Amino acid sequence: MDFNPCMKHQLIRKTVREFAENEIKPHVSLLDKESRFPWEIVERMKPLNFFGLQVPKEYGGAGLDTISYAITIEELSRVSAAMGLCVTVHNSVGIFPILQFGTDEQKKRFVPAMARGDRIGAFCLTEANAGSDAGGVETHAVETQDAFVLNGTKIFVTNGGVCGTVLVFAVSETRDKKKQASVFIVEKECPGFCVGEIEDLCGMRANPVSSLFFEDCRVPKTNVLGQLGQGMKIGLTALDTGRIGIAAQALGIAQAAFESSVSYARERQQFNTPLSKFQTIQNYLAEMATKIDASRLLLYRAAAFKDSRRPFSGEASMAKLHCSATAKDVTDLAVQIHGGYGYSKEYDVERYFRDAKVTQIYEGTSEVQKMVIARTILSQPS
Amino acid sequence: MVSELPWDSRTGTLKRDLAQGMMDPASRRALEAALQIKETQPAYICAITMGPAMAREILHQAMALGADEGVLLSDRRMAGADTFLTSHILARFIQKECQGEYLVMCGTQTSDSETAQVGPQLSEELNIPAITYAGHVEIKDRVVEVHRHVDEFFEILNMDLPGLVTIDLSAYKPRYLALEGVEKAFENPDIRHIDARQLGLDADFNALKDSPTRIMDVYSPTAQKENRVLKGAVKKVVDQLFDDYGKVISSAMGKDLKTHEHDEA
Amino acid sequence: MKRNKDIWVFGDYRNYFQNRVTLQILARAVDLSTQTGGTVCAVVLGHRVDTYVAEYIAHGAQKVYVIDDPTLRSYSIERYSWLMSWLVTRYQPETLLVGATRFGQEIAPRVAKKLKTGLTADCIDLEINTKGLLVQTAPSFGGNLIAKIITPVKRPQMATVRPGTFPELPHDDAANGQVMVLPLPGDLPEDRIRLVTSEHRPSKKQKIEDADIVICGGRGMGSKGKFKKLFDLAALMNAEVGATRPVVYSEWVSHDALVGQAGKNIKPKILLSFGISGAIQHTAALSDAHFIVAVNKNPNATMMKMADVAIVADANQVCLGIIKAIKEKARD
Repeated sequence: MDFNPCMKHQLIRKTVREFAENEIKPHVSLLDKESRFPWEIVERMKPLNFFGLQVPKEYGGAGLDTISYAITIEELSRVSAAMGLCVTVHNSVGIFPILQFGTDEQKKRFVPAMARGDRIGAFCLTEANAGSDAGGVETHAVETQDAFVLNGTKIFVTNGGVCGTVLVFAVSETRDKKKQASVFIVEKECPGFCVGEIEDLCGMRANPVSSLFFEDCRVPKTNVLGQLGQGMKIGLTALDTGRIGIAAQALGIAQAAFESSVSYARERQQFNTPLSKFQTIQNYLAEMATKIDASRLLLYRAAAFKDSRRPFSGEASMAKLHCSATAKDVTDLAVQIHGGYGYSKEYDVERYFRDAKVTQIYEGTSEVQKMVIARTILSQPS
Repeated sequence: MVSELPWDSRTGTLKRDLAQGMMDPASRRALEAALQIKETQPAYICAITMGPAMAREILHQAMALGADEGVLLSDRRMAGADTFLTSHILARFIQKECQGEYLVMCGTQTSDSETAQVGPQLSEELNIPAITYAGHVEIKDRVVEVHRHVDEFFEILNMDLPGLVTIDLSAYKPRYLALEGVEKAFENPDIRHIDARQLGLDADFNALKDSPTRIMDVYSPTAQKENRVLKGAVKKVVDQLFDDYGKVISSAMGKDLKTHEHDEA
Repeated sequence: MKRNKDIWVFGDYRNYFQNRVTLQILARAVDLSTQTGGTVCAVVLGHRVDTYVAEYIAHGAQKVYVIDDPTLRSYSIERYSWLMSWLVTRYQPETLLVGATRFGQEIAPRVAKKLKTGLTADCIDLEINTKGLLVQTAPSFGGNLIAKIITPVKRPQMATVRPGTFPELPHDDAANGQVMVLPLPGDLPEDRIRLVTSEHRPSKKQKIEDADIVICGGRGMGSKGKFKKLFDLAALMNAEVGATRPVVYSEWVSHDALVGQAGKNIKPKILLSFGISGAIQHTAALSDAHFIVAVNKNPNATMMKMADVAIVADANQVCLGIIKAIKEKARD
């Protein structure tokens, strides 16, 4: 077993870190304060292939493996969790389902513009009465001569306010009146598509999480992703992949909070002694480091399983469960170590603290992850 | 175990050598200039570095950015070479590999030593013309045209190939590496490893021994901080500051200040 | 010719008056020669260079080698480095010193290579050790360390010297010096570099990240009006002004000046810190400052603890005091 990262993964990390530190970091605090999505940074991100991380080269992507993908999201999120979120959602639940389930025609039609970053992707499942329970989805599609007509409201859509191409989870009726779930590819130009208000959230404030309205939204029949009725399967597969991204995002946040804590503990003096000399603080740092390390190992394992085409659902859920818990715990301790300053907007740790919590909620809450993990355990023959 | 992951427990940051493994900023600008030339005309870019096996990573980076091949000059016997020997070793390789109309492009100075010597000395070794501190480089009809701003003079200079340029630190802002390039650079890595024997360096060649200069002592300027405290009337402390540190101040200003003893002279 | 103890200084006269490094090195060479013996010589290459020859003699050169020829009218790296190497081979000086201007940093390594000797770049001190060898002190490893370097065997001992390192000697019109005018050697090779245009263009404003001297002010400066005095000082010292977050928030100065978190990292040779207590978001950006002078009424402020020189006084008063002192001391 080799725990050393290979040279390629090192170079990926350095490349993303360099970009994030130079081009994103100087603006993060203000973007958070103003809740503004930085289109100008998106422009600078495009040439680096951030929007087509795992997209095959024939569709204009970088063709990265999943470990590289996780490292990229981790490093982006270490500087800006909101931009890490934008990129991971775009790639994992925006593009990936099209690559996995789409027809060749659909791949050619939708993927290149998304991979270039010209159209930002989103995936919408959650509704007022459906979240963890995908069966409760009320958005429905009615088949007409040449199109499906969608009606319904989706909420908490990451990238909602800026998306160009969005995957919509909706139910329709089969000829024998049975309900079936399907995923529709909707472009923002479709008549009847409308972006609702941007949510006023605790963290991730530079990401325009919004509701989306579909009012007699006419979607061409060729925009049904895969086949009618494949909705559940697509949704679950997308979420498995998405979990790796969110785990990586949570890890990046934790890493940033940890680094900030170490340097603060070295420099801040109390009772004429650096904080780092106090055993209490040392214990905190040790706890943080151990959690982060364990998270990283779980995450890279899940990514490596996916790359070697082994089932990774349980591993992805473990990674997501642990990374997000780590992000919550580590950012909490980081604020504690920073004391009053940690609670102040002058320091970044309060933002890490606000950004971290949601990683335990979206793309499957921690409780859902435990369900998935338990299912993989119990599905194995005794 | 923490230490087995890319982790620096001392600073609490990932990867001790994250910065170290990256191409030097000065070399990166030279590569950027080469890439821009290649965008306007047919060119073959060979990235060369000298260093330990780890330096391969820099060549991968160069290839990810668009270099056509990478060459690592690496040998235990080359370790510790000063600029004098570095330029000698680099010249050996270039003489072996390049004929005709080639252009050597170097960074002006590396961030670790800042001597700015390797480029000029390499041109001496190769006996080719060199233009330093280039802010803009163009090749027109086999003539290299360079714009540069040196010691408050703006100059346009020409030379024929083969030649050498060093790229100014303020020119050719390097592009970021595209992730696609990283993937590509590792798919098909055309990196050659050349050792001292292949370069035909003498059998008794020993980089350290052959250096014409010798370091007697190295010390940290910060370790010597005395944290001297000056108190009293403003006039008195200001005078004291210039009496004791006038040289440091005038050196940083690049301007001579009258010191106490000269006032009396 | 037999090797002698002479110390040579390359006469770098382009952009003279601003560029005074040759005079500064001559002054040091005079000091060194009292320990080693030998003559302090300047070398002047060019066309119609009498003024500089006289100037160097007035500033300590005891002998000046001159090659005056129309083909040397403009600085040429190829011709000048060839001629320097030719002259050194002919006259065998013990030491050759060159000002670390950009041209100096280019010509010195080439001459060293032609002569197969060593070279220490950008020296900040030169001394003679007990064996009579030139000890060349220069920053290395990105300025994080200082190295003392000698050239034990090869000759000449060569160094480039950072401008401003040594004070020049006062101008002495009565000084005597020998002038050796030499003809252009017949075998001087053709210049392979063609100068198309050359024009004098003073450099643009520097950036705070690159500045050799940074003057940072905090709330301790007292008021917006008093803070402005730091700009007067900066103009005198060719420095840039930085500020702490409270100062920027109070709009005493624009956000560009913010040093520290969300602002800039600086790496000056000298940092003058006025009225700054030293919150970590500011001090973290200062780790590459080589020499720190801090002024604060509170001797226990973090900034004062991390300074090389901590002046316990009112920041605004000391700022005015330094302005006055520099105006008195500056020569031009």
